[in-house]
Amino acid sequence: MAAQPLMRIENLVKHFHVRLGAFGERAATVHALDDVNFDILEGETLSLVGESGCGKSTTGFTLLNLHRATEGKVIYQGRNIVELDEKAMRPYRRQLQIVFQDPYSTLNPRMTIGEAVGEPILFHKLATKAELKDRIAALLADVGLPPRFASRYPHELSGGQRQRVAIARALACQPKFIVCDEAISALDVSVQAQIINLLLDLQQKYGLTYLFIAHDLAVVRHISDRVGVMYLGRLAELATREELFEHPLHPYTKALLSAVPEADPAHERSRKRQILQGDVPSPLSPPPGCRFHTRCPIAMDICDKVVPEWREARPGHRVACHAVTEGLPG
Amino acid sequence: MMMANTIRPEPSTKTGERLLDVKGLTIEIETRNGPATIVDGIDLHVGKGETLGIVGESGCGKSLTMLSMMRLLPNKIRVTKGEANFAGRDLQTMSNSELRKVRGGDVGFIFQDPMTSLNPVMRIGQQLAEPLIYHRGMSKAQARKRAGELLRLVGIPGAEERLDAYPHELSGGMRQRVMIAIGLACNPQLLIADEPTTALDVTIQAQIVDLVKDLRDKLGMSVVWITHDLALIAGLVDRINVLYAGTVVEDAPVDALFANPSHPYTQGLLASIPKLSDERSIRLSSIGGTPPEPGRRPKGCPFAPRCPLVESICHDSVPSLEGLSQNGSHRVACFVAQRKLEAA
Amino acid sequence: MSVVPMTDTAVEIEPPVSLWRDAWHRLRRNKLAVFGLAVVVILAFTAVFGPYLTPYDFLSQDLNSRNLAPSLSHLFGTDDLGRDVFSRVVYGTRTAFLVAIVVTFIAVVIGVTLGALAGFFGGWLDRIVMWLTDMTMSIPNLLLVVVINASLKSPITSWMESRYLATLNPLYRETIWVDFLLVFGSMALISWPPYARLVRAQVLSIRSRPYITAAQALGLTNRIILMRYVVPNALGPLIVAVSAGLGTAMVLESAFSFLGVGVNPPTPSWGNMISDGLRVWQHYPHLLAAPAAVLGLASVAFSFLGDGLNDALNPRGAK
Repeated sequence: MAAQPLMRIENLVKHFHVRLGAFGERAATVHALDDVNFDILEGETLSLVGESGCGKSTTGFTLLNLHRATEGKVIYQGRNIVELDEKAMRPYRRQLQIVFQDPYSTLNPRMTIGEAVGEPILFHKLATKAELKDRIAALLADVGLPPRFASRYPHELSGGQRQRVAIARALACQPKFIVCDEAISALDVSVQAQIINLLLDLQQKYGLTYLFIAHDLAVVRHISDRVGVMYLGRLAELATREELFEHPLHPYTKALLSAVPEADPAHERSRKRQILQGDVPSPLSPPPGCRFHTRCPIAMDICDKVVPEWREARPGHRVACHAVTEGLPG
Repeated sequence: MMMANTIRPEPSTKTGERLLDVKGLTIEIETRNGPATIVDGIDLHVGKGETLGIVGESGCGKSLTMLSMMRLLPNKIRVTKGEANFAGRDLQTMSNSELRKVRGGDVGFIFQDPMTSLNPVMRIGQQLAEPLIYHRGMSKAQARKRAGELLRLVGIPGAEERLDAYPHELSGGMRQRVMIAIGLACNPQLLIADEPTTALDVTIQAQIVDLVKDLRDKLGMSVVWITHDLALIAGLVDRINVLYAGTVVEDAPVDALFANPSHPYTQGLLASIPKLSDERSIRLSSIGGTPPEPGRRPKGCPFAPRCPLVESICHDSVPSLEGLSQNGSHRVACFVAQRKLEAA
Repeated sequence: MSVVPMTDTAVEIEPPVSLWRDAWHRLRRNKLAVFGLAVVVILAFTAVFGPYLTPYDFLSQDLNSRNLAPSLSHLFGTDDLGRDVFSRVVYGTRTAFLVAIVVTFIAVVIGVTLGALAGFFGGWLDRIVMWLTDMTMSIPNLLLVVVINASLKSPITSWMESRYLATLNPLYRETIWVDFLLVFGSMALISWPPYARLVRAQVLSIRSRPYITAAQALGLTNRIILMRYVVPNALGPLIVAVSAGLGTAMVLESAFSFLGVGVNPPTPSWGNMISDGLRVWQHYPHLLAAPAAVLGLASVAFSFLGDGLNDALNPRGAK
């Protein structure tokens, strides 16, 4: 794998302003994303995991400029794409695609599958009208659907089939990079496996880079090259798949991993889980210092005062935890 | 919430004392093209003190089977055949007033989505007290005291203050704990949990599974846990029924099911769960196609169109659930698996 | 590369079903809606071709046969000037349809444009449109129309008459168009806010659907998204509203004519026929009954059709 960064995310911040109270009388800020830094390497699958509200989906939306970043940079092909307006963004849109979670609502119910897949091709002028039909058939074949599906409407398809259409539509743009935002979470187990295989096949065929956003750690473990763990709007840990699953450093990662059930009854019965107490605090008023300190089993004095640095603890293994980085030099 | 581990009585699977016994239950849905079968003559049972896992994909009828027993089916869906006995009494022919005593009294329910299953305009305490007043004839004060105890039992911090909270003031995990507390309010003999952790995060999911495990051991009730996630219930249940297209395709003790899955669908399900030991480049084994829609069930075995081991007989007749092991505790509905056993 | 093939028998057999065709099937099975549709079609046919098929001219008076009871030669009888009531009701259908269609068309164009822009772009545009809508809705309908007609009609008419006398330009001769213009204008003015509100609400809800985000992620322009994604999906409820709106507009036109601020005699309108009939209903009940019954029928038919469309286009439990 060429270790060239395809995209560099620097100090990305996203705050949402909301109004609370029965009459919207109180203004408040949701700290969805705070000071997030990482690279996405060309041709890799980088996964972001974490619990709901941790900011993993917001990351995907913000780095595609679907949400306006509050601060920070996303460098792609030498340009900071999050400062571009919609018009300047358009050529990049083609290269940077996204597949969403709910296959039932991401397709326009009034458009046939063929229209939905053909639309981006014509819009970005990637084929002439004469070539269009063949191109659509080729894309449907890529995602394992027969060409006759082109005349169907979304409501006639199963969830797995719709997700294949959504993938075909993203592929139609001939992208370099696809954000898979919980793309398989809504599917049944047996169909999930089909879609995972499909995503891996397409990656090989077209040299795609994936940012895979998911909460299912078993799936993430299967398909990722590197994995980032997020908690309450910040990255807690980022490492290669082997490093992260074999040698997790952050206490939150450890708790998360210990909560994943294994398909092994004897192991499950005897297993001692490290169960986190309490709930994730509200992103409206995240705790000061390390955001995990309220639930952390090894919290120290410093943790509720100082935000831990995002440091490389081992080669290629970054973590934000005082307890871990304490002993490191410099 | 570490609780004192009481010694759990041996589940009465072996003694055969059945708390819930469903026989030949058939459920149909009204469609534009006439009635279509969703659940096709299902047989299942839960022993006293036993924990049964019901596993299947969406649309396999796992939730409807449980709802139908309490006669809680939505419009246009109805039971056309079969019986369901609870503690020796037929739920299908019971009068409505008798049934109401069973619902929420002897049988507690936990649903998938704690936000929509709780009444948003009623305080938690009232919602907990209601079944106690109705089923157990408690006074308001008694019911409130018991409601506080229940919230403590399910591990809600500051239980007494939480009685006056509204559902939206609680987090998802806390709401699911409240749902469990309501399900347990009347000391039910049977707790039916319908995908209670699907809407929750992994760490919260682990909390809830452990909580139900602890409560079951403490209170000695039977539990039916409906889920699509085999791994989730591996450490929780005694026995698993795998459902496909409205029929039980495999019924086995939990260890036997994971060690020796015999129906090709069960095998496919287990194989499609990613394993830690897998290399990244390895393709997950998956089951091709999608489950049949109601009204489009194949004539023979419902799994035949997707089955890798399919034979000609599978397209013609429907296999029945037959014992694979000597004591009959491991049963499978598959011609191929049954023939393999005979050959051995 | 091998791809898992889809083996789905379900989709193979049937031809594709578009949502519209599906809705048509549902509509056809709804008896009341079919009744409504049939009545509407017959009335529409009458409106277009009726005046050529009636046995008498709607203006021709026959003072020898005044106030006749219904008979074979005069199906609905005759009025106090000996005019054939059936012919007048038929011609009144044309008036009713003309007013209803033109008024609803203007109202829908205004309402959809303002509502869609407000919903899609939000912000200050939304606030202005909503303020306009609330303003218009807060003024009592009848009062507004009466004020407009009473204050504008006679000055315009007399101005046109003086122009005609001064120039003899035939353009100014027919003042009947002023009637129509004022009726259309004032009715459209009070009819657009519900459409604007409906479309705005639709657009707001559609705008938050994932398929809009998906379209934005493909880089599509706002115009394409509005035309291909938002409008077609908002169309269902709009069709329902228009169907019900046509009926309402007919009743409204009759109400105004009844009050004398609508279409003026001698142009037949159900409203002014009812108004005339009301004065003599104790002696000649058919003069009141005929136009009233047809108005009632039309109103009921449109509302059945609207209900039926509502059920057909928004089936509960449909995804």
